Amino acid sequence: MNAIEIKNLRKEYKDVVAVKDLSLDIKEGEIFSLLGVNGAGKTTTIKMLSGLTCPTSGDAFVYGKSVVKDPDGVKELIDVSMQETAVARKLTVAENIEFYAALNGMTKQETEEVKQKCYDVFGLREVAGKMASKLSGGWQRKVSIALALVTRPKVLFLDEPTLGLDVLARRELWRTIAEMKGQMTIILTTHYMEEAEALSDRIGVMAGGKLLFVGTKEEMYAATGKQNVEDAFIEIVTGGKAL
Amino acid sequence: MKALGRIFALIKRNVKEILRDPLSLAFMLAMPLGMELLFYFIFHGQSPQFEMKYLAPGIVAFAQAFLTLFSGLLIALDRGSAFLTRLYVSRAKSSEFILGYAFSLFPIAFAQSVIFFLVGGIIDPSIFSVTMIVALFLSLIPATFFIGTGILLGSLCNEKSIGGVASIVIAGQSMLSCMWFPPESLGKGVLTVMRVLPFKNAAELLQKGFLGYSDFFHEFWQPLLILLAYTVVVFALAILVFKKKMREK
Repeated sequence: MNAIEIKNLRKEYKDVVAVKDLSLDIKEGEIFSLLGVNGAGKTTTIKMLSGLTCPTSGDAFVYGKSVVKDPDGVKELIDVSMQETAVARKLTVAENIEFYAALNGMTKQETEEVKQKCYDVFGLREVAGKMASKLSGGWQRKVSIALALVTRPKVLFLDEPTLGLDVLARRELWRTIAEMKGQMTIILTTHYMEEAEALSDRIGVMAGGKLLFVGTKEEMYAATGKQNVEDAFIEIVTGGKAL
Repeated sequence: MKALGRIFALIKRNVKEILRDPLSLAFMLAMPLGMELLFYFIFHGQSPQFEMKYLAPGIVAFAQAFLTLFSGLLIALDRGSAFLTRLYVSRAKSSEFILGYAFSLFPIAFAQSVIFFLVGGIIDPSIFSVTMIVALFLSLIPATFFIGTGILLGSLCNEKSIGGVASIVIAGQSMLSCMWFPPESLGKGVLTVMRVLPFKNAAELLQKGFLGYSDFFHEFWQPLLILLAYTVVVFALAILVFKKKMREK
């Protein structure tokens, strides 16, 4: 079953085409990575799929609900963690979770359950009473991603989740994301090749707003004759004129 | 009911964010309180402006101007930190966000009025009267204007520029409200400008409410109507700009 079906999705800003007629299906429960250099159109794609920006043309369906015609319906199924940390600075970690749960209409019991789950999955119990602004960048990022789980989404968008994290925090976050596999569909954008290699069921490569390749990493190696995602990515993006 | 719950959640969060910032408490409460005491004890008896019946309502209007700074700062910071993007993805609507931001500052505005009137009354008990309650409720009108201005500026400015832009409003309330000097000492042109702008009208509305004129319509219509007009325009603009920014996001 497909969680997401994208049909000729296009986004234009004045004289720039950020995403060019993207068509793609993403299966339920898979971790799908969108790889691309800066300006490839990854974040714009995520924004269109999550209802944050309207497509210029085309449409996308999340479990059959159109992002164009029924964005509120789509919002009930998804959550997003954008590349910038998005937490309420002067609330504690626990208060951040409680606030986001209340904003999404959860009961006290549901809030408590989801709070305990966030503590367990992200190891947040030790910092639960600390104000978000007092936490390190790595912890803030964890809280930011944990908030996206509060609504128990069927589809989770992670835009550059490990951007700016040190190597240990990054590996820890990979482990957390890998543990969530199968519980929801995860669409991850990154320009860390090893991240896509370690986590993804399938990889999509974007450049200049176009989707150039979709497949498993093994299919990526086979198509390019390379032995790792980074080399294969460069081969695809440069059209064989490797650097 | 669900919308009410979301608005309440937003109010609760915003109040916590504002009250946990020591600077906001210092500017919205401590500084105006210090000014009320200082100006009264230094200048009362020298000029009618510094009699408590004029000074206390004037200080309330001045303190409320800081609501523009702190409501604007809250929105600008939320926009800049991507926190607002997260909220956009939630089930809350843009109207709920605006109500959440606006209503979180009303309890603070009300607390300002109560504190500055009470302190004024303790220093000069002759000002205690029923009209104090009238002025207390009237103070919600300038509060609404300043909060609306904050929402508008917070939607337009980023976190770096909001402080400078909002301080123009605070300076306007201080310099153009006729709080510190008698109107007779000013030229006709300056007074006309002051009458058209919201600042003098905000202070005057509270002062007149406080003094309790018997001919309500005759005394109140000008500051009340001018301030209400500004409030409606500012809130309409704030809603339009906030929604536009939400769509752009």
